[in-house]
Amino acid sequence: MKSRIKLLTAATMLAGVAVSSASAQELVLGEFGGSFADNVKACYIDVFEKETGATVVTKLANSAQQAAAIRATAGQSDMDVVFADDAFAVQMANEGLLVTLDRAKLGNAPEIIDGAWGKDDAYVAAMLGSTTIIYNKDKITTPPTSWNDLFDEAYKGRVTIGDISGTTGWQFLAAVNKMAGGSLDDITPGIEKIKPLAKDAVLLYTQADQVVSLFERGEIDIAVWYPDRAGVQIGNGLPLAVAYPKEGAVGIRPSIMIPKGTEQEDLALKFIDTVLDAENQKCFSERQFIGSVNKNVSLSDAVSAVVPTGEALNDMMFLDPSEMATKLPEWTRRWQREVLR
Amino acid sequence: MRSWRTGVLLFSPLLLVLAGAFIVPLILLAPTSFREYQPGMGIVAGSFTLQNYVRIVADDYYREVVLRTLGLGVGVTVACLLLGYPVAYLIVRGRPGWRLPLTLLVIFPLMLNLVVRSFGWIVLLTNRGVVNNLLIDVGLIEAPLKLMFNVTGVTIGLTHIYLPFMVLMLVAALQNVPRDLEAAAATLGSSRFHVFRAVTLPLTAPGIIAGSILVFVLTISALVTPRMLGGPTYQVMATLIYDEYMQLLDWPSGSALSFALALATLLIIWISSRMTKRWAGLA
Repeated sequence: MKSRIKLLTAATMLAGVAVSSASAQELVLGEFGGSFADNVKACYIDVFEKETGATVVTKLANSAQQAAAIRATAGQSDMDVVFADDAFAVQMANEGLLVTLDRAKLGNAPEIIDGAWGKDDAYVAAMLGSTTIIYNKDKITTPPTSWNDLFDEAYKGRVTIGDISGTTGWQFLAAVNKMAGGSLDDITPGIEKIKPLAKDAVLLYTQADQVVSLFERGEIDIAVWYPDRAGVQIGNGLPLAVAYPKEGAVGIRPSIMIPKGTEQEDLALKFIDTVLDAENQKCFSERQFIGSVNKNVSLSDAVSAVVPTGEALNDMMFLDPSEMATKLPEWTRRWQREVLR
Repeated sequence: MRSWRTGVLLFSPLLLVLAGAFIVPLILLAPTSFREYQPGMGIVAGSFTLQNYVRIVADDYYREVVLRTLGLGVGVTVACLLLGYPVAYLIVRGRPGWRLPLTLLVIFPLMLNLVVRSFGWIVLLTNRGVVNNLLIDVGLIEAPLKLMFNVTGVTIGLTHIYLPFMVLMLVAALQNVPRDLEAAAATLGSSRFHVFRAVTLPLTAPGIIAGSILVFVLTISALVTPRMLGGPTYQVMATLIYDEYMQLLDWPSGSALSFALALATLLIIWISSRMTKRWAGLA
C-alpha cells in the first residue's frame, strides 16, 4: 500500500514539473504565421543567428492572440520579442506591459522614418502595409479608383470584405465612414453604408487566406484586402491587380516590441536592430510585397507596382492606434448587432 | 475501510486533473468576471460591477446568441438521435456479419482531426462547393443554395461530428435489453411496433438520455466547427466567448459569459438526470 502511494506521488510530481529548456542564447520570437514567418526566417532570423550565434524559437499567432498572451503572463512573458499590429501594441503599452526601446542601442534607428515609432518608443513599426482594393484584372478592365466602386451594382454578389475581427474589416469601416461623412466618434454613417454590401457579400472573411480560394474558384471579382497578400498570389499566377482608392487606402503598421519580463533585453534589441537594417528590410519587402520603414531602401519594379508609392502614399490614411484601441470594442459590438444580423 | 481508500486512490488521478485543469482556473476566473473593462486601458483594478452578467440577459444580442446556442443544441441532439437509433439498432440486432463493418463505419470519423472534418464540410457546402455544383449541373437550382455561415451548415457539421457518441451510447443501452422481454411481449400478441414502443424504447431510455446529454453539452460548447462553418455571421456562445477574450481583449465580459455557459450546462445535466430517474422508474 505504502509503495503504491509513493509511486503515485512520484508520478504526479514528474507530470507536474515543467521542464524549462530556455538557455541563455535562445530568443523566443512571437510572430505571424504563413508566408510572413517564412520571410522573417529568411531575411531576419537567419542573419541574426549567423551574427550572434543565438538560436531563435518562434511562436506563431495573430496580433490579438499575442496581445492576450503578453497580458496573461504580465511582466513574466515567455517571449522576448513580438510582432503585432500597432493597435494592439499601443494597448499593451498603455497597460504597462512593454519595455521602452532604447534608440541608443539600435544602430539603425536614425535610418527609420519618424512615423514608424510608437508612443514613447514603446514599439516600432517594422513594415508598412495597407488595406486597399484588390481585383481580378481579367474580369474588371477599368481599374477601380474609389471605395465607392465596391458598391457598384455590377459587382453585386461578387465582392468580399473582411469581418471586423480582422484588420481590413475595421479599417474599411473607418474609410467608408469617413467617406460617408462620419467621424471616429460617430460610426453610424459607415455602418449604414456597409450594411447592404455585407449582406450581398459572398462571405465576410475572418482569415486573410480565405480570399485566395475565393479568387481561385472565381467566386469574387473584387475584394478589400492586403496588397502584400495579393503580391504573393500575383507571383503564383493569379490575375490580380492592386488599386489605391482616391479617398486613400488605410495604412497598417505591423510593429515589433519587447514585452516586460524578458531576461534577454539586449539580445532582443539586437534582433530589432537586425529587423530595421536596410539590407534586411529590402529583403523582407521584396519577398513579402510590403513597404519598408527604412529610408535607405529602394524597391524593385514588381514590388513597387504593389506597394503604395507617390500619390497613393500621400493619400494614405493613418488611424491613431491609441484612439482605435478605445473605439474598436464599441465598433465591434455595433458591427455584430447591426451589420451581421 | 480498505476498499474506501482504494476507491479514493483509483479516483485521485482524475480528481487531480479535474481540480488542476478545470476547477482552479474556473475559481480564478470568478473575480475577473466582476471587473470593469476599459477599452484601450485594460481591466480596471479593484473595480466591482455586475454589468457583465446583467448584459447577458438584458442585451438582446447576447440573449439571441444564448437562445440560438440552446436551440442548436436541441436541434443537433434530435438529429443525432433520429439518425443514430436505427444504426445502433442495426448494429445490435442486425446480422452478426454487419456488426464490425457498421461499428467501424461509425467510429471511423473519430479518427480524423476535427479541423479536417470541418474543412471537408466547407469543400462540400460552399457556394461553389461539390453539393451546389452538382445541384446546378443537374439543373435543380439556378443560384447556389446558402448552406454555410448559417444554421444549416453548423447543424450538418455538428451532427456528423457527434453522431458516433450517440450511436455508441445507444449500442450499449440496446445490448442491455433482454431479448426474452421482447419475445414475451410478442407472444402475448403485441405487434412489432408496439413491442418497440412499449418495451424496447423505455428500456433504452437511460441510453437515450445519456447520449442526448453528451451530444447536447458537446454541441453548446463546440468552438471549432461553429467558427469554421458558421463564420462571423452565425455566432454561438463559444465563439462569442472566444471573440470577447481574443479579439476585444475584454476578459471580464468573456469570463461572465463562460460562467453563464457552465451554469446552463450544469442545470441541464441536473434536470435531465432527474428526468431519467422518472422515466426509468415508469418503465
